[in-house]
Amino acid sequence: MNPVMRIVLLWARNPGWLFLALLLSLWALATGVVLMGLSGHVLALAVAGGALVVPALLEWTGTARVVLRYAERVVGHEAIFRALAEIRVWMFRGLALSAAGGLGLRRSGDALARLVNDVDTLDGLFLRIFLPLLGALLLVPMLVWALTREHGLALLVLLPFCFVAFFIPWRAARAAEEGAGKAGLAMASLRTAVLDALHGLREVKIFAAEGRMLAEVQAREAQLLAAQRELAAEAAKLNAIAFIVAQGGILLAIVLGFFGLPVAAVAAVLVLTAAFEAVLGLPRAGLLYGQARKAAARVVQAAEAGPPVPEPVTPAPMPSRNAIAFEHVSFRYAADRPWVFENLSLQLPEGSRTAVLGPSGAGKSTIAALMLKLAQPVGGQIRFGGVDIAQLPAEALRHRIAYLGQTTHLFADTIRNNLLLGDPAADDAKLWDALEAVQLADMVSALPGGLDSWLGEGGATVSGGQGRRLALARTLLMNAPVILLDEPCAGLDAATEQEFFRVFNTATEGKTVFLILHRLTGVEHLDRIWRFTGGTLVAAAG
Amino acid sequence: MSKAAKPWIKSEQKSGFRAARLSLLLSSAGIAFGVVQAGAAARLLAALLHVQQGGLAVWGSAAVFICAVLVRAWLQVRAERGNFELGAAARRRLRGQVLGVLMALGPAGLRGRHSAELAATAVDRVEAMDGFHARWVPATGLAIIGPALIGLVALLTDWRSGLILVIAGLCVPFAMAVAGIGAGIAAKKQFLAMTRLQVRFVDRIRGISSIVLAGRMEDEAKALATAAKELRERTMRVLRVAFLSSTALDLAAAAALVLIVIRFVPVLRGAHELAPTALFLVLLVPEFFAPLRGFAAVYGDRMAVEAVAEEFQALPEAPPPVPPVHIRSVAAHGVTLAFEHVTFAWDEARPVLENLSLKVGRGEMLLLTGASGAGKSTVIDLILGFLAPRSGRITINGATLEDLVPAARTRMLGWIGQKPVIFAGTIEENIRFANPAASEDELQDAIRNAHLEELIASLPQGIKTPLGEGGFGVSGGQAQRIAIARAFLKDAPLLLLDEPTSHLDPAVERDILESLKHLSAGRTVVLATHSSQAMEIAKTVGAKRIDLDALRYASWRGVVA
Repeated sequence: MNPVMRIVLLWARNPGWLFLALLLSLWALATGVVLMGLSGHVLALAVAGGALVVPALLEWTGTARVVLRYAERVVGHEAIFRALAEIRVWMFRGLALSAAGGLGLRRSGDALARLVNDVDTLDGLFLRIFLPLLGALLLVPMLVWALTREHGLALLVLLPFCFVAFFIPWRAARAAEEGAGKAGLAMASLRTAVLDALHGLREVKIFAAEGRMLAEVQAREAQLLAAQRELAAEAAKLNAIAFIVAQGGILLAIVLGFFGLPVAAVAAVLVLTAAFEAVLGLPRAGLLYGQARKAAARVVQAAEAGPPVPEPVTPAPMPSRNAIAFEHVSFRYAADRPWVFENLSLQLPEGSRTAVLGPSGAGKSTIAALMLKLAQPVGGQIRFGGVDIAQLPAEALRHRIAYLGQTTHLFADTIRNNLLLGDPAADDAKLWDALEAVQLADMVSALPGGLDSWLGEGGATVSGGQGRRLALARTLLMNAPVILLDEPCAGLDAATEQEFFRVFNTATEGKTVFLILHRLTGVEHLDRIWRFTGGTLVAAAG
Repeated sequence: MSKAAKPWIKSEQKSGFRAARLSLLLSSAGIAFGVVQAGAAARLLAALLHVQQGGLAVWGSAAVFICAVLVRAWLQVRAERGNFELGAAARRRLRGQVLGVLMALGPAGLRGRHSAELAATAVDRVEAMDGFHARWVPATGLAIIGPALIGLVALLTDWRSGLILVIAGLCVPFAMAVAGIGAGIAAKKQFLAMTRLQVRFVDRIRGISSIVLAGRMEDEAKALATAAKELRERTMRVLRVAFLSSTALDLAAAAALVLIVIRFVPVLRGAHELAPTALFLVLLVPEFFAPLRGFAAVYGDRMAVEAVAEEFQALPEAPPPVPPVHIRSVAAHGVTLAFEHVTFAWDEARPVLENLSLKVGRGEMLLLTGASGAGKSTVIDLILGFLAPRSGRITINGATLEDLVPAARTRMLGWIGQKPVIFAGTIEENIRFANPAASEDELQDAIRNAHLEELIASLPQGIKTPLGEGGFGVSGGQAQRIAIARAFLKDAPLLLLDEPTSHLDPAVERDILESLKHLSAGRTVVLATHSSQAMEIAKTVGAKRIDLDALRYASWRGVVA
C-alpha cells in the first residue's frame, strides 16, 4: 500500500475533527472567492450605472471570511494534533514490538530520533497539502457554475486553472521525490564525514589532518548544497510557470469578456484572481508531498517490521527455577553471514556469578540478545529453569532477567519516574532503599526536588558514574532473580567503573549474576570467568 | 531563552540583512512590476466596461500586462535562487565556524562531550539555520518594503483609498505585536511543560529498548497518549492567541477591500473616468497584503533559531591562538624527552600528577605503569600537547613544548592508543591517513612491517576495500595493525603507546607486541600499559620503568620523587 495512504487511514480513526477542519477550510475559501466576486460586481455595476447593491452583503461576506479563517486555523491544528498523537502512539507500539532487538541493542538512538523527525514532517501533509488540494478540487465546480452563467466559452479559463492546481503540483511531487533521495544521500554522507572528523579527533590532530578533514566535510557539504540547489531551482521554475499560466488565465477571462457580458466578466476576473491566489501555493505543496512520501515510507516500514522472535502460540507456564543453560547454540544474523558462534554451551546455575570476557565486536552482546529473546538461535536451545525459552512468553521472561547494558537509557523525566520503570508499584520507602543500595540516597536527598527532581534537559545533571548507578537502582527495583549486565560502564573511566562494581557486588548478593565485559576491573566478585574468543568460550583464570 | 543567545541572534540577523540586499532589490522590483500589471489590468477591465476608448489602447494595455507578467516571473525566479544562496552561504559559514572551534579544541577540550551530539550540532543544527537566512530575512525585509511601495502608489493615485490601505497596513504589525505579546505570555507560562512534553516522545523512542526490556511497553504507550493530549491542549492555548495575528491580517485585508469599494461606489455614477482608478486600487489590495502574508508564513523559521542559538552558545570556547613569539624549532631526528617538576590536575582538590620529573634519552624506551586512573593517559596527553601542565615544563631536545612550532611538534610525534579510529574509506586511505603524500613503496613497506598483507589479501577488494561506517568491519587486532602501519608511514622519532593492547586477546596481543617492538627500534618510546606481556617485551629492550602509583605513594609519605 502507498505509505501515505497508510498514514491517512491512521488519521481516519479520528474523522470528526478532520472533517470539521475540512469543512471550515472549504467554506473560508468559498467566502474568499465570493468576496472578490462581489466586490467586482458592485464596482462594475456602479460603473455601468446600475442600481447600488447593498454594501451590507459585502460587509457580511468580509466578516464571515475573517471569522471562518480563524476557525479554520484553530480547528485544523486541533485536528492535526489529535491525528499526530494517534500516529506517535502507533509508531511507539510498532517500534517496541519490532525494533527493540534490531535497533535498540545497538547504538542507534540517533537513527530512531531521525524517525521522529519524519513523523513531524507528516503533520504538514494534512494542513499544507491535503486541505489546499481539496479546496482546489471544490473550486472547480464553483468556477464551472460561475463561468457558464456568463458564457460557454468562459469554461476555457478552467484549463489554465487546472494546469496550475493539479498538473504542476504533480510534476513537483515527482521531481521532489527524486531530488529528496539525492539530497538525503548527500546528507548522510556529510553526517558520516563530520562524525568521523569528531570521533577520530585524536588521530586527526596527531596526523595533522585538520585541513584534510575540513576539506572533506566541505566537499560533502558542496554535494548536499548542489542537490538542494537543483531542487530549489526546479521549485522556482515551476512557481514561475504557475504564475505565468495563472496570469494568462486572467487575461484570457478579460478577452472573453469582450464577447460576453461585461459586468459579469469583471466579477469573473476578480473571482479568478482569488481562485488563482488560493492554488498558487500548490506547486510548493507538491514538492512537500514528494518529501512527505519518503518520510511516510520510512515511518511505516519501521513501525510495521514485525517482531524479531515470534511469540509461542501456546506458551508454557514460567518455571519456578531460574538456572539458565545454553545448549549447543549456534547463531548468525543471516544465512550468507559468518557464524557469530557455533555450538556454544554455557551453564548459569541459580545463585552463580559468571563473567564472559572478550574484545568488543566479538559477539558477546549476541549472547544477551538471545537470552532476552531479542534474537532467535539458529541451532541448539536456551533453557530457563529447564524450559526452552522459545516456549516462554518474552515479557514474562524479561521480568525474570533484569538487563542493564551500555544502551540502558535514563529518561528526561523525574528521578522517581525513571525508577518506577523498574517497578511501577514501588512506594517511596522502596525507592529510597534502592537508591541507598547504589549509594545515591545522599545525592538525591540533597537535590531541591528530591525524588521529583528532573533529569536532563532543564533539570539536574548527574555524572556518568551516578547515571549508571541510577540505572542500576532501576534494574534492582525490577526484583528479578537474574541480573544481566552488558558493558554497563562503557565510556567511563576506570576509577568510576571500579566504584560501580563495588556497589554492584553488595547490591546483588544472592542473585544469579551474569556479566558481559571486555575486561575486569579487579573488584568484581565472581565464581567463574570465561573468555570469549573466536566464537568459543574458554575458561580463564580467576 | 538565555541571555547569551540574544546577541548571537542579533548578529546573525544583521549579517543576514546585509547579505540579502540584492535579493530584496529584485523582490522590490517584482512588486513594482506587480503595480504596473495591476494598472494594465485595470485599464483592460475599464475598456471592457466601455468606459474607455477601445482599439489601440486595449492592445497596448494587454501588451504591458503580458510584459509585466513575464518580467515578474523572471524576477521571482532570480529572487528565489538568490534566497537559496543566502541560506547556503550562511550554512557554509556556520558549519565552518563550528568545526573550526571543535577542531581547535582538540580531544581534551571536548572531554565529556559525546561526538555524536557535537556532530548533530554541526550538521542538523546548522541545517536548521537555513530557514532563517533563506526565508525569514528576505520575507521580513519585503514585508516592510512591499507595503510601503504600494501604499505610496495608492496615496498618489487616490489619497482617500491610499489612506485606507496605509491605515489597514499599519494596523497589521500593531495587531501582530499585540497578539505576539499575548502568545508570548501564554507561551512563557507553558514553555517548560511544552518543551518537556516535546522532548518526551523523542526521548522515549531513543530509550525504547530499555522500556521493552523492563516489560513496560503498554504502560508507556498509554502514558505517551496522555502526554500527547496534554501537549495538544497546551499548544492550542498558545496557538489560539497566536492565530489572532493572522486574523488581524485577514481582517485588515477584507476591511481595506470593502472600504475602497464603498468609497468608490457613490462617486462612480456619472464619473466614468474614475473607473480605471477604482479597479486599479481594488487590484492593488491583494498585492499590498501579499508580502505581509509571506512574513506571517515564516514565523516558524524565526522560532527555530532560538533553539539553535542555545546550542551554539553551549559549545565550548575556542582556545586562544598560539602566540607567534618565542617559537623555535629543534632537530627532528633523535629526540630526548624530559618532564621537569610537572603538575597537572583537572580540579585543585585532586591532582593527577604531582611534581613529576623524568627523562627519556634518544632511542630509549620508558615503561609507564600504574593502576587505571593513575595518570598514564594524562602523561601521554601532556606530551601530545592536548593538555597543558599547571606548573613545571615538558621539553623535547631541551626546548619547552609550548615554544615549538605546532606543525613541527606534530611531525615529531607518533601515537597508538587503545582503539584506533577507522575512518569511512578504503583500507589504503586509512593507512595513508598518516601521510597522504607517501609514495607507493613507502606504503608497501608500512603494510609489510605491520603484517597487514594477509588481511589485505583476504579482503574482497584488496587494498581498495571500504572500511568504517557502512564498510567492512575489522577486528580489534586488525584495527591495531592499521594503526601500526600508520605509525610506520608517519615515521616519527618520538612514539607514544597508550595501552595499545588492552582490548586484545592474549594470543593477538603477543603478535601485536612483536610488531610494536619492531616499530620501536631506533625511536624514543613512551609505553603506558598494565599488561604483563607488554612489560615483558619492554624489559627485553631494556626500558626504564616509572610506576605512577609508587610515585604518588612516595609523595604522600613526603619523599621527593
